[in-house]
Amino acid sequence: MITFKNVTKTYEINTNNIIQAVENIDITFKEGEVILLKGASGSGKSSILSLIAALSKPTSGEVIVDSKKISKLSDNFASIYRRDNIGFIFQKYNLIPTLSVKDNILLPLVPLNLKADDVEIKLNTVMQKFSIFHKKDIIVKNLSGGEQQRVAIARSYINEPKIILADEPTANLDKKLSEKFIEIMKELKEMNKTIIIATHDPLFFGLEFIDREIEMSDGKIIV
Amino acid sequence: MILSPEILTIYILNALFALLSAIAFYFSVRIFLYWNENSTSQLQYKLEKQSYLSATIIKYIFAIKVPLFLFFIFTLDDMSNIISGAMCAAGVVDATVYGSYLLVLKVLNLYLFAYWIVLHSKDIKFEVQPYIKQKFGLFIGLFFLLVVEIILEIMMFNAIDVTSIVDCCGVIYSSSSQSYLSMVLSLDYFILLGIFYGVFLFLTISYIFKLRYLFSILNLFFIIISLITLISFFGTYIYELPTHKCPFCFLQKDYNYIGYFLYTFLFIGTFNGLVIAFIEFNKQEIEKFYTLSFLFNFLYVGIVTYYPVIFYIKNGVFL
Amino acid sequence: MEVYENTLNLAMQIQVLSMNKYLIEYAINSILRQKSKNIFIFIVFTLLIFLLTSIFFITNSIKYELNSTVNSLPQIIVQNYKGGRHYDIEISKVDKILSISGVQESVARVWGYYYFENADVHFTLVGIDMFENQYKKSLTHLTQISSFDESSMYLGRGVKKLMYKNYYKNYFNFIKPNGTVKKIDIAGVFNSDIELESNDMIVMSKENLREIFALKENMATDIVVKVSNPNEIDTIALKIKEIIPTARVITNEDIKVSYEHLFNYKSGIFLALFIISLFTFFIIIYDKASGLSSEEKHEVGILKAIGWRVEDILQEKFYESFIISFFSYLLGVIFAFAFVYLFEAPLIRDIFIGYSNLKPSFSLSFIMDFQTLFLVFLLSVPIYIASIIIPSWRVATLDADEVIR
Repeated sequence: MITFKNVTKTYEINTNNIIQAVENIDITFKEGEVILLKGASGSGKSSILSLIAALSKPTSGEVIVDSKKISKLSDNFASIYRRDNIGFIFQKYNLIPTLSVKDNILLPLVPLNLKADDVEIKLNTVMQKFSIFHKKDIIVKNLSGGEQQRVAIARSYINEPKIILADEPTANLDKKLSEKFIEIMKELKEMNKTIIIATHDPLFFGLEFIDREIEMSDGKIIV
Repeated sequence: MILSPEILTIYILNALFALLSAIAFYFSVRIFLYWNENSTSQLQYKLEKQSYLSATIIKYIFAIKVPLFLFFIFTLDDMSNIISGAMCAAGVVDATVYGSYLLVLKVLNLYLFAYWIVLHSKDIKFEVQPYIKQKFGLFIGLFFLLVVEIILEIMMFNAIDVTSIVDCCGVIYSSSSQSYLSMVLSLDYFILLGIFYGVFLFLTISYIFKLRYLFSILNLFFIIISLITLISFFGTYIYELPTHKCPFCFLQKDYNYIGYFLYTFLFIGTFNGLVIAFIEFNKQEIEKFYTLSFLFNFLYVGIVTYYPVIFYIKNGVFL
Repeated sequence: MEVYENTLNLAMQIQVLSMNKYLIEYAINSILRQKSKNIFIFIVFTLLIFLLTSIFFITNSIKYELNSTVNSLPQIIVQNYKGGRHYDIEISKVDKILSISGVQESVARVWGYYYFENADVHFTLVGIDMFENQYKKSLTHLTQISSFDESSMYLGRGVKKLMYKNYYKNYFNFIKPNGTVKKIDIAGVFNSDIELESNDMIVMSKENLREIFALKENMATDIVVKVSNPNEIDTIALKIKEIIPTARVITNEDIKVSYEHLFNYKSGIFLALFIISLFTFFIIIYDKASGLSSEEKHEVGILKAIGWRVEDILQEKFYESFIISFFSYLLGVIFAFAFVYLFEAPLIRDIFIGYSNLKPSFSLSFIMDFQTLFLVFLLSVPIYIASIIIPSWRVATLDADEVIR
């Protein structure tokens, strides 16, 4: 379902400073798989996620998702692709702190101009599912870390994407909340979502629901 | 030379249009020359961004142009009060040699800009953007037309001399004057009306059977025959005076501003009909244009027919 | 029928396409979240619109008043000119004018300006004869309602007040050109339909007035002419000029036009000022909209990352600017209404009426002028929106990836 064909991504900070985020990546992920991307910071895990989400374009090579070459998409269509296919849970959550829980979660749906009833149903379902319905009108910056993460997960889920990407999801959580997160991921797997988690948290290592563990270092995959 | 607040407003907005369209023009040229959808270079990336700006500017210009055009017509009508001899906008348009060209150009630009917008909304539905070069190439032409329009407008307002007497519509459109226009207008009513309703009948048929190119061409004929019959026949029933043949007087308050409605309906109807021939729409989209076109043309026909019918019912005779 | 169904679908489509409820809500929310930046812009813009609209309202009202005045003015006024200056005219010329076909009436007027030194004002003195045809309705009214006391005078309201202030309660002493005093009793106050003109007017018998101004029996100040067909005013004016070459013939059209010009001149200045401020404002908005805090950039990056297209962001920004500018417009116009028609526009209106100690105390008549409202709209909202096009575009095309890392 997701295929990387000889993908390289380099960032050019200035003429002397070129960072190679990932190098010659060739890999395929199947639909419904749960993948763990292991590796230290800077190993290229975040870049892989970014490339799958079409948030960045490869310097060379191709990324193909569901037979579609997403690496060539224009800005507009990259957004549409993300909207329809990707749910991204960022490391820093990237919620809008001055908006309420409800407003944050419904953000991906806003441009779609759906009927108000449909939106309400989706919203309530998702908020119930991730146990933050009771805080729906609270401004996000007043929530605890765990609650904020649930909002982030809810937001990534509301447009019913096929692919869920999580970047260091448990970096700011304690053990209990981390385990809660893993529970939620298991539920998502039940729904046949393709999940890719980039983390160096050992809590994830060797878990049963994870289909594959891929280790990365210096931008390359270590078999 | 008059510099009333109304004319000044028109100038200010024209200046804004000139500035913004120049920016869009610059980018349009670059896109037209260098756009390569397979390229992943920095240039292509920049062009992509610039295409958003150009499109936004063009949409903005059209959005403001429409009310500004109505305001322009209204201003012309208003100016007839201070230009000796003019009783309606017809006199003002005729006061200078630029007037009629300006009016025609403005209407043409409205059609073209509207077409651009439709083309654009079709274009961005595809990842590949099949019409991108066509679109911006069109705008390059449109830019020149816009500039000509602005220049003509300035020249026209400059040239208007309040003291020199102009002809009023009674003279311009009457059968006694020498122009081609009056020759056409004095053709036999039966012929003109026959053509008018005939064209509309064929329009209806092509609508029902979705005959694409026929529908479009008929819309073109419809514009022409509508204008002619409006001035020479239907207008006289709006004014209830057989000799009053004028396309501008019914824009005035005395006639409930019906002119604005008539021309607006005619524009919407014929534009949607014309656009069908030029762009490849899918079934769902084309449905929308067919319906809009037919609906507004129908409304137009309905309203213009209403006047002579009501007149006959009230008076028992035709003019 | 097929057409009916299609129309219905179309109506729904149009409704849905043109307004996105959630996007509008987000836009409103966004405006409120950036209060400090937006409040400044909102206030300044409202102020500009308020000033502009007020000026238009005032000039419209005054024009209307003036036009009503002008319409009640005589159609043609004939004055004698010698050496480029206004002189008295022989009454015998009246008959000459009457001989022109198309002339309905020709009346010699006796009037003048009297300078009252104590108050530094000019009164307009008008002389009438009881049994003559009056050229003005209000004067006819005056001669009809009461037996006009030939020895006393009637005052306009402003005059009465002023004289009262200067301790002249029941009579007034006019100083004749030879230095002697002419005392005239005050019989009462008269009303005119149009306040602008009557406020500084005094009506008295022709005899008294001739005495005050030392005007000879066979002379008059000027001659007013009424024609049977108003369309012929200009023609007859020309004919009069032929008969009396030294005369200056003024038609009421001439007066209308000169008022128009005066107004266009005065409002032209304000318009010029407005344009300059508009231009400055344009630059300010452009600048403010361009200066994005890292927070704002971050927010746009998030939106793009979760699936908003460039167009969606642009549309949202457009909603924001339309809401701000439109509400500014509404508020500015409403304040202008209140300022001009409720509070009588202190300060500004004096600039248009002109300075005079005998300020007419008339109310600015309420005229609902859609053209003005449309004009102000065109000069405000589109300009505001134009100023944010480029800054919004810059924001919308930010690279999501860079911004959220």
